[in-house]
Amino acid sequence: MAESRIKADIYEYLETLPALTFDRLFHKPATCLAVFRLLPSLGKQIVMSILYNNKSVPSSELESWVIGSGSGKLKEALQHLISLHMITLKNNSYTLNANFKAHFQDALSGGGNDRSFGLPATTTDKHQVDVAFLDSYANRCWEVILHFMVGTQMSDLPTEGVMDLLVRSGLMMVVDRSSHRITNKGFQFLLQDVNTQVWAMLLQYLDTAESLHMDLVEVLHFIFQLGSLELGQNYSIDTLTQTQLQMLDDLGDLGIVYQRKKSSRRYYPTRLATTLTSGTTVLSTSAQDTGRNLLSAGAEIGDEEEKGFLVLETNYRVYAYTNSPLQIAVLNLFVDLKSRFPNMVSGVITRDSVRNALTNGITADQIITFIQAHAHPQMRKKTPLLPLTVIDQIRLWEMERNRIKSWDGFLYREFAQKDDVEATKRRAKELGGLLWAGGEKLVVAASSHASVKSFVTNRISRGREQEVPSQQAVKL
Amino acid sequence: MKDVSYSEDDSNLLVVILDINPFAWARLAKARQLSPSALLEQLLQQVLLFLNAHLALKHENRLALLASQAGKSTFLYPPPPFAHLNKPPQTRDANAYPRFKDADDLIAASLAALMQDTQGIEEAQHKGTSMIAGALSLALCYVQRILKVDDLHKIKPRILVLSVSPDSPLQYIPIMNSIFSAQKLAVPIDVCKLTQDEGVFLQQAAHISGGMYMTVDAMDEVLQVLLSIFLPDRYSRTFLSVPDQDQVDFRAACFCHKKIIDIGYVCSVCLSIFCAWSPVCSTCKTKFSFGKPTVVKRLPPASRPASRPASRPMTPLSKS
Repeated sequence: MAESRIKADIYEYLETLPALTFDRLFHKPATCLAVFRLLPSLGKQIVMSILYNNKSVPSSELESWVIGSGSGKLKEALQHLISLHMITLKNNSYTLNANFKAHFQDALSGGGNDRSFGLPATTTDKHQVDVAFLDSYANRCWEVILHFMVGTQMSDLPTEGVMDLLVRSGLMMVVDRSSHRITNKGFQFLLQDVNTQVWAMLLQYLDTAESLHMDLVEVLHFIFQLGSLELGQNYSIDTLTQTQLQMLDDLGDLGIVYQRKKSSRRYYPTRLATTLTSGTTVLSTSAQDTGRNLLSAGAEIGDEEEKGFLVLETNYRVYAYTNSPLQIAVLNLFVDLKSRFPNMVSGVITRDSVRNALTNGITADQIITFIQAHAHPQMRKKTPLLPLTVIDQIRLWEMERNRIKSWDGFLYREFAQKDDVEATKRRAKELGGLLWAGGEKLVVAASSHASVKSFVTNRISRGREQEVPSQQAVKL
Repeated sequence: MKDVSYSEDDSNLLVVILDINPFAWARLAKARQLSPSALLEQLLQQVLLFLNAHLALKHENRLALLASQAGKSTFLYPPPPFAHLNKPPQTRDANAYPRFKDADDLIAASLAALMQDTQGIEEAQHKGTSMIAGALSLALCYVQRILKVDDLHKIKPRILVLSVSPDSPLQYIPIMNSIFSAQKLAVPIDVCKLTQDEGVFLQQAAHISGGMYMTVDAMDEVLQVLLSIFLPDRYSRTFLSVPDQDQVDFRAACFCHKKIIDIGYVCSVCLSIFCAWSPVCSTCKTKFSFGKPTVVKRLPPASRPASRPASRPMTPLSKS
């Protein structure tokens, strides 16, 4: 779920880039691979099928590849491929972007000399750090940001750059000179999983980069490169460009990479970085590593906090086995916390607590996905995972806030003819802008007002001319 | 068979069985007037690209590669625990994606180690046949192990056999058992046959387990076929048009002389298949009552039995 959302976000962002940028993007195999993974599975298959084929593929042939429900998927896949400039349509046949083709082949075969997958440092580090250290470093950095957002009193604050990023992205707003307040968007942000949060930040960073005149292509190259790096390995900064060196500083503040000193010639990616393009959450990646190498399964114990800790009962009680002030602060957004023990907190989901969250701009779905994502392993044995009564009630509480909806609209009245009313109604409906109609009045949404208005004026002026002959025809 | 539903965010486990039986390769190379090692290398390059392509599809995709050698089968990737490989020094290369490079290096190293180890290959009992049955069962065990630790049922396994050897009727029973286990586990077995001769058992394997069977003759077309036919995961296969098997050879091998037969005898108790009549079933030791079995017209005159019906007759099996 989270994965597809992130993919959609990145895809949406990439789509806005001009074709020229793509040509430069596809110069790095790492980027090709990352962009390739954004495609739907049929899109990937199309690319793979024509990757080692030098001819272009006629669209009729492409259509014969799919059966049944596939034709819809084919259209969608082709649309994705075209908007990412990976294939071009010419004379009714598709050709793979030459740049992409060459460098994606390099990615698969490990050829070429683009050094896009990160250059590991050749000398050993005197201050070698291990994975556990990197994990705790990343966690600490990220939690500082989240704590800052929920407003915990803390000694260490995020750096200026991070604060600036938070404000720019609309997650926080500046109340006065030195104090910040969390926004509705910020509340929603808190309930997402870490991977989504990191991507949200990075996309924001991309927007900022543009205004800071950093080279967008290099920024993207570096982000995608980070996703292909290995945890626990140190990399040399020799292959990085000036822009990317500057990014290294900024990403260090977010806990995505670790550098011992700013002047250090090497950097370590943290788990936040290495899971960037994998799409999996931090938790499931560690589970996967254990699966890949069963021998080391015992050695790799996932982060305790990343495992589920929430128990939700049918009587609306919530037990959270956590002592992290951050988790508790997030829970406090929609749970009425009653008691706190050394290793757990308990509370009740009440109408007031949920309404409180809803007024903060959090939706019922976000609450439910949050509980689902952090459900205790014991809860996971049940189907359905969460008690239905509670879920339904949370949805009902949300719906009761939505009894009145408001739209901006325009009232149309005093039509000269009944036909005009009907025609206008039809037109407004086609545009999807008809809000209400009754008698000889109708209300049209502000968004489609302009086109309905021109329709009405057109019809009235044109109608007059036509009306005359038709009336005559009737009389005869 | 298990009911399985597929979705876009499944991860796929691909277990590839590579037939490196030197006898078959030598034959194949001779026909093309190439050296066997050059031919194998040509295939290997394409297979490695295919494996990388599989890993490229999704970050969660998993891979296993087995070698089916003459007389034995081994894991090439992931390397078995406690394997003493001459691990290539960790030469990290900025030009290669670490996961691809890891897999490629390990496969190359373990394959080289396997090639060195020629012990037992020449033993007469194998008659230079490839150990497909062993490889299939190893593959299924591996699949089962991976499925067991996958609580979310997100991993969808499949097996791909790249075969160059002819069928070995000796392995009929173990192969059939593997096929039925695969069917039960809902693991399709895809077969890509790199020689002209038909593989009877592997055809049945693909047919029964719901996989695909395809013959590729030209060695330089292997990659294209692998990428366009065998790469799609099981979710994609629900809406991609994949090649059908129009004719499947359903012949079986007899249990007594391991010959592939059209018509034979079947034990009425345990359903073992024999090419010649015998008074005692060699599998379940059932004694057929001593009366000779009923006459079957199409039997050769030498083995034509007397006409008295037996109380527990051996039933003639005919090709369905």
